[in-house]
Amino acid sequence: MARSAPLLLRVVAIGGAVFLMVVVTLVVAPQLRETRERAEFPPVGPLAPPATPIAAESRPYRLRPADVAVAPDVEARTEAQPRTLEVHRSLRAYPGAPPRIPHGLTEEEFRYGLCNSCHARGGFAPRFGAYAPVTPHPELTGCLQCHAPDAMTVGMGIPTLTQDVICGQCHVDPDEPPPSLVALDWTPQDWPQLGGRAMEGGPLWIPHGLQLREDCLACHGGPSAIPAIRTTHPERVDCRSCHVPAPDVADEVFERPLDGRGGEG
Amino acid sequence: MSSLGRREFVRRMAMASAAGAAASLVPGVAFGEEVQRLLDGVEVGSDVVWRRTPCRFCGVGCGLLVGIEDGRAVAVRGDPDSPVNRGLACVKGYHSVQALYGRDRLTRAMVRRDGQLVEVPIQDALDLVAQRLRDTMEEHGKDSVALYGSGQWTIPDGYVASKFFKGGLGTNNLEANARLCMSSAVTGFMTTFGMDEPPGCYEDIDHADVFVLWGNNMAEMHPVLFSRMLEQRERRPNVRIIDLATRTTRTSYAADRSILFAPQADLAIANAICHEIVRRGWVDRTFVGDHVAFKRGRTDIGYGLEDDFSFTDQRADANWDEYVEFLDDYTPERASEISGVSAADIRWLASLYGDPSRRVTSFWCMGLNQHTRGTWVNNLVYNIHLLTGKVATPGNSPFSLTGQPSACGTVREVGTLTNRLPYGTVTSESAREKAAEIWGVPVENIDPEPTHHTVSMFRALDSGEIRFMWIQATNPMVTMPDLNRYREGAEREGRFIVVSDVYPTPTTDVADVILPSAMWIEREGLFGNSERRTQHFARMLEPPGEAMSDAWQLMEVARRLGLGDLFPWSEEEHIDRIWEEYSRFHDAPDHRMASLEELRERPGVIWPYVDGEETRWRYNTQTDPAADPGRGRFDFYGNPDHRAWIWLRPYEPPPEWPDEEYPFWLNTGRVLEHWHSGSMTRRIPTLHRAVPRAYVEIHREDAQAMGIANGEAVRLVTRRGSMEIPARIDHRGQPPRGQVFVPFFDETLLVNELTLDAYCPISGQPDYKKCAVRVERLG
Repeated sequence: MARSAPLLLRVVAIGGAVFLMVVVTLVVAPQLRETRERAEFPPVGPLAPPATPIAAESRPYRLRPADVAVAPDVEARTEAQPRTLEVHRSLRAYPGAPPRIPHGLTEEEFRYGLCNSCHARGGFAPRFGAYAPVTPHPELTGCLQCHAPDAMTVGMGIPTLTQDVICGQCHVDPDEPPPSLVALDWTPQDWPQLGGRAMEGGPLWIPHGLQLREDCLACHGGPSAIPAIRTTHPERVDCRSCHVPAPDVADEVFERPLDGRGGEG
Repeated sequence: MSSLGRREFVRRMAMASAAGAAASLVPGVAFGEEVQRLLDGVEVGSDVVWRRTPCRFCGVGCGLLVGIEDGRAVAVRGDPDSPVNRGLACVKGYHSVQALYGRDRLTRAMVRRDGQLVEVPIQDALDLVAQRLRDTMEEHGKDSVALYGSGQWTIPDGYVASKFFKGGLGTNNLEANARLCMSSAVTGFMTTFGMDEPPGCYEDIDHADVFVLWGNNMAEMHPVLFSRMLEQRERRPNVRIIDLATRTTRTSYAADRSILFAPQADLAIANAICHEIVRRGWVDRTFVGDHVAFKRGRTDIGYGLEDDFSFTDQRADANWDEYVEFLDDYTPERASEISGVSAADIRWLASLYGDPSRRVTSFWCMGLNQHTRGTWVNNLVYNIHLLTGKVATPGNSPFSLTGQPSACGTVREVGTLTNRLPYGTVTSESAREKAAEIWGVPVENIDPEPTHHTVSMFRALDSGEIRFMWIQATNPMVTMPDLNRYREGAEREGRFIVVSDVYPTPTTDVADVILPSAMWIEREGLFGNSERRTQHFARMLEPPGEAMSDAWQLMEVARRLGLGDLFPWSEEEHIDRIWEEYSRFHDAPDHRMASLEELRERPGVIWPYVDGEETRWRYNTQTDPAADPGRGRFDFYGNPDHRAWIWLRPYEPPPEWPDEEYPFWLNTGRVLEHWHSGSMTRRIPTLHRAVPRAYVEIHREDAQAMGIANGEAVRLVTRRGSMEIPARIDHRGQPPRGQVFVPFFDETLLVNELTLDAYCPISGQPDYKKCAVRVERLG
């Protein structure tokens, strides 16, 4: 009796050991082998955000509503001269063209390109009695490379927005073209159709190209925006979650045959 | 009269828009109020009637007002009364009603005869479906038939499906596509909290100071919640948004910080954050001591790639010391080597979570869920919130977002999954007894053994174990991973496929019978969104032709099989009767739901809804009537020990990664303008034109190295398939070097022919975000 218990234990121990070996050979070993055969997971180098962000994706978030709106404790000036679509269009040769500079530039402004001191963030400019329009691309500082000043007004520093004042400085009859200009047979393309949308009450389509104009709030937010295209809800920030580029092909829709078998893969 | 009303409407719209423009000089004008003013004006003397509904698309569950005139939907606006979206929608929601009117809408039943689809009266088609269902069961047994549904099913659709298949036919071959998008979230919740769905609600957005987005391109996938978050950052200057992702997206640009990590490394990052929180002494000791327990499970769990794969986790108790020892493997430096994120950034993330003065909300969706360790990584994010006690109070919220309008309401709450019942699991005797009693069926009818999760179900269709499959409201022939295999399986001889849908799709291409479905507001229904909000919508429009709701199709077939007693309801009142019956399953303080009368009146109600109060924060004894105040500040009553569980879940590599032959990672996903497989959004002109075709995003330097120009077609090749597709450089998103991204909405460019059907063994959810691919330049 006293000897049989250890014997039983020994049998169990040996049996268990054999069983374990079988398990290791049949079950664990193949798995280990498989693991060994598998290539090492490759090391990962440091990951950095892209050097060049996608303009159309990143710039809509660059300006915040507070950047273009009047500070909450200050009322927008009601006496400020509003910008109008007509002026906006008269400054551009065609839809999407860089607007020319409609006001005088001081010698200093012309030489050193100080445009961003007013146009980076906007704000009320007493010199013009108006809110300065905000540029959608303040990172480009060679402004005069695309935005042409009027040679006649350079050095004048005369603040004015109205065509007849500029022209009237030299011309008695403002309708008569200046003699130095060759008449141009030029009609601008149609201006973008405003108010385009799929359904009444739906979000408006974006009716213009986005290149260099990805920063929605620059033109559509705040008191410098032309009232006709000013957003009613700048606080929503994420403009392009509702507003998408306008369809340029009138009736391109998706349709497929009822039975697509045998059609394209 | 009608045209007058219309003109009046337009005039008032113009007036309201001018008024709004003037008001915008003053910042902070609430959009919702403006819309309300507009609506007040429009409803008088107009023929346009505005009816309330949740949106048809994603799981955010925005409240919409649909303008209806002469029996047609003509306009949409955000419902200013909806606490979800407060008057805003996204571009999909605003155009959603146009999806009702595609020219190729399915309006008649079709039956395939000699390979050709032939139009038949819908009643004949239903006869055929019933006959084939019966014949298949008689010949091959009850588990040879299957129903594959959807997170786009309404709650009544899912309820009828469960009662019919589980209570009537007695098979657990009932699954839904939410298995492919949400099941890791479910198993994550179940293993940590013992109950599904988030502790918090969207109101957390109004309170959180820090938002960490885990692999979640919210700007495109959950735009309205994202907009709410950005608005909070405008109002409260201390708010910070951190985008923690594998790819640079619109979300990254809008965030205050964008941190990129290598695929699968989220497991290591989450553990390293916890390591740092413990090392720095930022643990909320009281919370952990009173409300947390520690568990470990199996670690060698596989990837589900073998057809005969099966897995059962083995839970074991652990303790604080073991947990701290486990975290030793996850120093920020070690996690940095795995993830590519600097140790400093990992420490910084830990400091945000660990700072007791900041309220932190984590958001995630497919990035964590479509993951071969999806359950684990869900657990690990909960671990961070549990260590710091940042859970179930306003703004402290680990928040799993959903992708479909009723993934929560229908699939998760009704339980249209093989292992689930409307309350509890099929393996639980008490749950089966409860279901049998409410359904009026013998308890033996309900099979106690789960059968197949989705991938396994399609493998069974391939092998012939399943011979009959009815697919409703989803498009698996676009969305299944390793699609070539499963399409071949569905097309095999001797398989009978029934598809209920609203448009022809690659899935109707494999159908033997096509049933036209009534869509969204063409029938009465209910959805349940990500924040436990149940939302009702009335039938506002006539369905086209012979289109019929999915629930009614199922009941018609059940009646033909002699199961009419289960569905003794008239068409007029069946939604009321279904809701009454279904509510009995959840008639307890932990899940009680509002009555249909209340739901008809309100823009959704959050459950548990007890004594007229919504439970916005569960488990919090001050806000949750099911929580026992005797247990202190919190009561995690889902678990038997009334504690939330911190799991010791390690980092493991994925089953396939780039090598010499296939040197790139392939990631798939969505874009803002398209939803799910695109079968609805591609028929909406504004959305289709915005993104007409799929493309592959590739890093500029990778493209340059291969001589690939923007827009040029390239060939993508994986071990499973290949495709030609235009390359896009700096287009919508920017994958890092060595990764490419393809959206899956385009049925003519089926990226899922390339993806791998590996899945999380605990949840059964496939990983669509990671496999190895080769990019070849053509010509």
